[in-house]
Amino acid sequence: MTTPRKPATFKLDDPHVVVLSGEDEAARPARGTVQVRPEPEPALPTVAPDQALAPMRPGLPWGLLFWTSLGGLVLLALGLGVSNLVEDLFNRSQGLGFVGAGFAALFVVALIAIIAREIIGLSRLATIERLHARAADALIGDDRPAAEAIVRELSAIARGNPRLAHARAMLQSHSRDIIDGADLLKLAERELMSPLDAEARRLVSTAAQRVSIVTAVSPRALVDMLFVFAAAARLIRQLARLYGGRPGALGLIKLTRQVIAHLAITGGVAASDSLIQQMLGHGIAAKLSSRLGEGLLNGLLTARLGLATIDVTRPLPFTALPRPALSDLAGDLLRKREQNDESGA
Amino acid sequence: MSPSWTDVVEEARLSLQAIADYSENLFNPTLRLGVTGLSRAGKTVFITALIHGLLRGGRFPVFDALATGRIGRASLAPQPDDAVPRFAYEDHVRTLVAERRWPQSTVDVSELRLIIEYQRLNGADRTLTLDIVDYPGEWLLDLPLLWKSYETWSAESLRLSRQQPRAALAAPWHAHLATLRPEAAADEQATLTAARLFTDYLRACRDERFAMSLLPPGRFLMPGSLAGSPALTFAPLDLPGHAMVPDGSLWAMMRRRYEAYKSAVVRPFFRDHFARIDRQIVLVDALAAFNAGPEALRDLQAALIGILDCFRTGRGTLLSALLRPRIDRILFAATKADHLHHSSHDRLEAILRLMVERAATRAEFAGATIDVVALAAIRATRQANVQRGREQLPSIVGTPMEGEIAGGERFDGRSEVATFPGDLPQASEALFTTGDAAAQAFQGLSHGAAEHADYRFLRFRPPPVALEDGEAPSLPHIRLDRALQFLIGDRLQ
Repeated sequence: MTTPRKPATFKLDDPHVVVLSGEDEAARPARGTVQVRPEPEPALPTVAPDQALAPMRPGLPWGLLFWTSLGGLVLLALGLGVSNLVEDLFNRSQGLGFVGAGFAALFVVALIAIIAREIIGLSRLATIERLHARAADALIGDDRPAAEAIVRELSAIARGNPRLAHARAMLQSHSRDIIDGADLLKLAERELMSPLDAEARRLVSTAAQRVSIVTAVSPRALVDMLFVFAAAARLIRQLARLYGGRPGALGLIKLTRQVIAHLAITGGVAASDSLIQQMLGHGIAAKLSSRLGEGLLNGLLTARLGLATIDVTRPLPFTALPRPALSDLAGDLLRKREQNDESGA
Repeated sequence: MSPSWTDVVEEARLSLQAIADYSENLFNPTLRLGVTGLSRAGKTVFITALIHGLLRGGRFPVFDALATGRIGRASLAPQPDDAVPRFAYEDHVRTLVAERRWPQSTVDVSELRLIIEYQRLNGADRTLTLDIVDYPGEWLLDLPLLWKSYETWSAESLRLSRQQPRAALAAPWHAHLATLRPEAAADEQATLTAARLFTDYLRACRDERFAMSLLPPGRFLMPGSLAGSPALTFAPLDLPGHAMVPDGSLWAMMRRRYEAYKSAVVRPFFRDHFARIDRQIVLVDALAAFNAGPEALRDLQAALIGILDCFRTGRGTLLSALLRPRIDRILFAATKADHLHHSSHDRLEAILRLMVERAATRAEFAGATIDVVALAAIRATRQANVQRGREQLPSIVGTPMEGEIAGGERFDGRSEVATFPGDLPQASEALFTTGDAAAQAFQGLSHGAAEHADYRFLRFRPPPVALEDGEAPSLPHIRLDRALQFLIGDRLQ
C-alpha cells in the first residue's frame, strides 16, 4: 500500500492555480502551478440505456392454462392410443408386440430428451433476458457488486465461445482494479461484445442480401414468401446462438414473439428516421423493375428484423458500443447506389 | 433482569397504539419513515431534499416508481399529530436555495405528512401516505439510558470522562466532583454547580476539534422548554461500590432526578416517535470524526451501537403489525459523500459497514433487510482532478463556508476552492480497537497542530441553484434515489 496522501486545498482565484475547461489538453503544469480539471458527473450515466416498456403484472395466465391443459389431453389421448395399439399388436403376434413396445419406449425416451432440451434452451434464454435487465439497472445505479456478479455470469456464458478466450482473459485481468459499476459493465461490453457484434452484423447483412436477391429472381410470390420466413427463422436462431442462447423450437417461437414485439415498439421511430428515406430514395429502382424494388424492401425488412433480434438476444444493453443502425446494413445492401449518391451530392 | 411494572405498562400502551395504527392502515396505507442521526449528521437536509425531490419530480433515475412515471403526484398534507409542530419544509428550501445556507440545527421535534398518488404495476391507482419525523439528534443519545440505572450511567460517564482527549476538557468538573460526597446530605447549590460544569464539559466535547458523539444525556445539550427544571439538574457522582443509598443524601436526590428525566423526557420520545417506525434510515457523519481523530471515530461507533440496540427490527408479520411494530428495512447512510471524490465512496461505505457491523448482523438475523450507502442529499461540490507536479489528486470543487480554515487560510464564504481531503484508510478492525494501534491509525485535529492532520473535510455552502418560475428546480444529489428506492420502492410496486 502506498503512503496516504496529505490533504491539500487550492483557491481557484490564486494566480498559481490554472483551471482547465473540458477541451484543453493536459499540458505539464509549469513549475509551481497547479492544474484543476473538472470531471464529468460520475453519478449520471453518460448514455441513458434503452428502457423496455415496464411489463404489466399479469393476472391469471389463462393462455398458459389453456395450452397446458390441451397439451395434457393430447398427450393422454396419444398414450391411450399407443397402449391400445401395442395391446392389439401383442394379440396379433408376440414378435410384432415387442417391436411395437420397443418403438413406444424409444418414442418416450426421445420425447423426454426433446422436452429437456427445450427447457434448458428456454431457461438459458430467460437467463440472458434477466442479465440484460439487471445490467440496465446496474448501469443506472452504478452498482458495483451487481456489476461484478453480472460480469461473472457473462464470462460463464462466454466460456462456450472459444473466440472470446482472449477477451475473457483481458477482463479477468481487470477484475482486481477499482472500477465503478457502470464502468465495469462498459468495459465488459467493449471486451466481450465487440467481436460478437461484428459477427452479428455480418450475419444480418448476409441474410438481408440473400433475401433481396431471392425475392428479385424468384418465379412465384409463394416461393419467396416461404424463403423470407425460413431466412428470418434461421437468422433469429443464429443470432441467439451467437450471443450465448441455444433456443430449441419453443425457444425460437418465444424469441420470435419478443422480436416482433420489439419491432412493434421501435418500428415507429425507425420508420420515421431511416426506412422511409431508404424506400423513397430507392423508388427509382422500383420503377425500373417492381421485382427489384420488392427485393430491396424485403432485404431491408430482414435487416430490421435482424437488428431487433440483436436487441433482444444481446445480454448487455448498448452503452459503450454504438448500436448498429439500419443505414450501416443498408449500406452493404446498396453500397453502389449510396456511393453514387454521395459523389453526386 | 425481570421486566418491571413500568415496562409492562409501556409495552401495553405501545401495543394499543399499534392496533389503532393498523386499523387506520387498512384503509389508508401509511409508512412511517424514521430518519435517525446524531446532531449535524444532516437529518433536516435529507428530509428537505427527499420531500423536494418527490414534490418537484427530482432527477431520480434509480427510484423506479418515479423514473418510470408511475408516481402521478405527491402533495403535502396536514400531519396526524396535532401537538407536534410542522416540519418547516418551505423555510428550509428557501434557506438552502436563496441564502445558500444550511438549515439551523433542529431544536424541537417536527413532523410532515406526504401523500404519494401512484399507479401500481398492474394498473390500479393507489395512494401511499408517508409520515416523516425530524428531531434533534442529541435526543437520540438518551435512548440507551432507558435500560440503564443511575449507578451504571454514572460509572460509565466517569470512565469515559477520564479517557483522552476528554479528560482535559472535564478537568473543572472533575475538580468539583472531588469535593462532593454521595452520602452527604442533599445540597441544591452543589447539584446546580455540578450539573452546570457537567454540561459545559459535554458542550466542549462537541467542538469541531474533538467531535465526540457519545454525550448523554442529550437534553443537557438541547434543553428546549425544560431548561433549569429539576429533571435536568443532576450529574454523575463518584459512587462507592456498595448499593446502600442513604435517604436524603445527594446520591438519592441525583438518582431520583435521573429516573424523573427518563420517565418525563426519554420515554415519551421513544413512545411517540421511535417505537412506531416501519422503515429506518440511519444517517452517519463519519467525515467529521475523521477530521477530529481516531478517538472521535470510536466514540461515534459506541454511540451508534447504543442507539441501534434500541431499534425493534425484524420481518413484519400480521401479529407483529398488531402487537409490536417492527422495522423491516434499515439503510445505513454515510452522509456528506459530496465532500469526497467518488473514487473514495467505496471506502467510506466499507468503513460505515464495519462501524455498524454488530447492529446490522443482529437486524439481519431478525429478518430485516440491510443496506449501506454513501450519499449526499444535496450535493454541494463538483469533482475535479488536480495535478500538482507529478501528483494527481482526485479533488472536489466548492465554496467553503465562511470561517472555515484549511492550510492556515481562512475562507470568506465567497471564493471557490479545490480541495483534496486526504486518502481514506482501508476499512480495518484497527480503526475501531482501543490501544496504541488505533491511536497510530491517523492524526486528527484533536492531536494538536492542524498541519499534521491526515484529513481535512471542509464544510461547503449549498450549491448555487438557478430558480425556475420562482421555484427551486430539482436539487443535485448523490445516491438519494438509491436510498429512496430501498426505503419505499417496494411499497410503490
